[in-house]
Amino acid sequence: MPTLIKLAEGRFSAAEDVFADVADEDVLPDGPVILSLTRFQADGDALVSAGRPVGVRIQADEAVEDLAYDLPRLAVVALVFPKYRDGRAYSSAALLRQRLGYAGEVRAIGDVLREQAGFMVRCGIDAFAPADGSTPEGWAAAAGRYRHVYQRAVDARPPAFEERG
Amino acid sequence: MYRYDAIDRELVADRAAEFRGQVARRLAGELTEDQFKPLRLMNGLYLQLHAYMLRVAIPYGSLDSRQLRRLAHIARTWDQGYGHFTTRQNIQFNWIKLADTPDILDELARVDLHAIQTSGNCIRNVTADPYAGATAEEIDDPRVWSEVIRQWSTLHPEFSYLPRKFKFAVTAAAKDRTAARVHDIGLVLRRARDGSLGFEVIVGGGQGRTPYVGPTIREHLPVDSLLSYLQAILRVYNRHGRRDNIYKARIKILVAALGKDEFARQVEEEWSKIEASQADLPDTELARIRAAFTPLDFQTLPARSDAFEAARTASPALARFARNNVKPHKKAGYAIVEVSLKAPGATPGDASADQMDLVADLAERYSLDDVRVTHEQNLVLPHVKLDDLPTVHAALESAGLATPNINLISDIIACPGLDYCALANARAIPIAQAIARRFEDADRAELIGELKIKISGCINACGHHHVGNIGILGVDKKGEEFYQLSLGGSGQEDASLAQILGPGMSADKVPDAIEALVGAYLAVRQGEERFLDTVRRLGMAPFKEAVYADAH
Amino acid sequence: MKVLTANRLIDGEVVFWQAGAWIERFADARFFADDDAAGPEAVETAKTQPTVIVDPYLIDVVEAPGGFAPVSYRERIRALGPTNEPTHGKQAEGGAGIEALLAATGAARSTGRVDLIRRK
Repeated sequence: MPTLIKLAEGRFSAAEDVFADVADEDVLPDGPVILSLTRFQADGDALVSAGRPVGVRIQADEAVEDLAYDLPRLAVVALVFPKYRDGRAYSSAALLRQRLGYAGEVRAIGDVLREQAGFMVRCGIDAFAPADGSTPEGWAAAAGRYRHVYQRAVDARPPAFEERG
Repeated sequence: MYRYDAIDRELVADRAAEFRGQVARRLAGELTEDQFKPLRLMNGLYLQLHAYMLRVAIPYGSLDSRQLRRLAHIARTWDQGYGHFTTRQNIQFNWIKLADTPDILDELARVDLHAIQTSGNCIRNVTADPYAGATAEEIDDPRVWSEVIRQWSTLHPEFSYLPRKFKFAVTAAAKDRTAARVHDIGLVLRRARDGSLGFEVIVGGGQGRTPYVGPTIREHLPVDSLLSYLQAILRVYNRHGRRDNIYKARIKILVAALGKDEFARQVEEEWSKIEASQADLPDTELARIRAAFTPLDFQTLPARSDAFEAARTASPALARFARNNVKPHKKAGYAIVEVSLKAPGATPGDASADQMDLVADLAERYSLDDVRVTHEQNLVLPHVKLDDLPTVHAALESAGLATPNINLISDIIACPGLDYCALANARAIPIAQAIARRFEDADRAELIGELKIKISGCINACGHHHVGNIGILGVDKKGEEFYQLSLGGSGQEDASLAQILGPGMSADKVPDAIEALVGAYLAVRQGEERFLDTVRRLGMAPFKEAVYADAH
Repeated sequence: MKVLTANRLIDGEVVFWQAGAWIERFADARFFADDDAAGPEAVETAKTQPTVIVDPYLIDVVEAPGGFAPVSYRERIRALGPTNEPTHGKQAEGGAGIEALLAATGAARSTGRVDLIRRK
């Protein structure tokens, strides 16, 4: 079972990924699943009603707003970084947390590298499927690289202007 | 100067430490070049033709003497004794070794300088009016707002992987010295009729292969809503800007594709959903940033300096310098002094370490410890007493820094071109040198008057050729360096894009063509009309005829 | 004829391939005949040295008075140094090899790089 890095209460730790990442053409397995937005819109309702933990995979060009009414029932929103230089998912994460009030797991998948850890955490992502073999320790070090931040973001870190009091 | 506090310093130090680690991982083979390249670019480190090039940020073009001396020190210690000031008010060092860059960044950090976000698809160094805090034209100090944007955009978690690079310009004067209308976002401070301060927000200007003069999407944005509004613009761009084609990824393409009104509507809609208290700076922080700019100790002086008047009567050189390089200051008895980095035959924008040290000394002694870099690749001593002008002029003259040519024909912008740049198709510097030598006669240059020549060595337009009164673009035509001339561009408040004059020409023909254009202008100009005005009045025909007559 | 060139990782210096090593002078480079398979093979070898050099590629060279010179302006400038600063870069060393390159300007062309030019 693939391993994730999860952030909870300020600590990064390795966690087993209990969700099956299901492609549109795959036969639906048992247990928790992550589906594409299209498949979720077709099949999600039945699965959730049956008590199955369900997550949705959002591509970089898909709008998280389309999930607005379903978010309370979702266990995971997995944001795809097709290339690590593609920054659309940062906006998706910030909108999920700040505008749509989503409190469940927001997971970064795709081209996920430890150099991005700080930005991801600040945008409200709390689970990471690193593509570079990063360890939770490496991830924590990268996320905590900076003693200060200038701007307010999704996380609770006080920006410099609050630190200055 | 904005004075750093411990927080600002620790952030820069953390960035330098992070890059030291990344360089070590690259040299040890833990990072491939493909992985490392974006990381070094985010720190302004390019691999050019001969060596690495390090671009150091000069926030809104403002330096103190301590910082300028440190730049000179870096030029001497790790480069070949000079630096190149750019059209983005930054400085570039052309001969840097990768292994030295961590030490250089540490050295910069000691004087609150860095290379953060001087490259990469992120928010770059903010351009601001180089006369900020000195000109009577401004209605507020644009450096305050530039610093607000600098802090907000530094390591912004949501906007560090944009579709493409993103450049701001901020000015508060009617005369635009920032090229605000050809930036991704241009902010022009204005006062509304009720006296309230706001920004005219211009979005989607730019040069490159698809130039646009940016449209205004909001006439008056209250200043305290700046950051929430910028967040809305950047979010619309981050989500919807094109990522499939690097040449269509700038915000100008999105604005043009949607149309100004639809783009503005999307921004306003996004803005209406942003909680202002979460996005805008509290008034206390705005006040703190404003107060962190060192208050300047201006003296009360008479408007006229007898010493200066006597010296200028005695010295035609000083008189000429005063006519061209000295600009009015908001305080009586002071002047703004432009230090030309365009001596005939020199590389535009280059300054030797000794020259930097000299300007630093002059700034410390005669300009309230303040130096500016202009986007036209010159330096400015913004607060010089009229009484001190003869001394300052003599010192500049001794170092080859007193060329009296600001805004004249030899005050040419040129990108590094094929002499240094890995992207260039043709050289730009030798063209600038040849034109400047041809028009070395200062009397003639003054007679011609304001004439801005801007030269780029490739379509990326770092030399701003699209907004040159005369723009020159170097191209590769069947293996030869060829130069395409265009006319009628302006990067100022009356911004316009230059139109192509006609077929390109080889390098040796360019000075003659400029000569022909100038001759045509002088023959038909009316009164005080500038070259640009004449082109606008008469169109291209007389100029085309002048340059290409022989070819008929 | 062709020559294999790259930039050295640690300092960015322009280097050329000669007998299994990277050297700094164009005149000392190994010249490959256009149809010599050893040229492309050397590129492949170079690609296995990512901690030594960056972005290896073959350039075209032509015979000029005094010896061979790169076809393109770009590669001549890389082999010599910037034209606006005659004392900077490799040209500062002087000598017959540099003189030959300087004298070869007449035959220059601005392209000539075999691979795509892209941001390095």
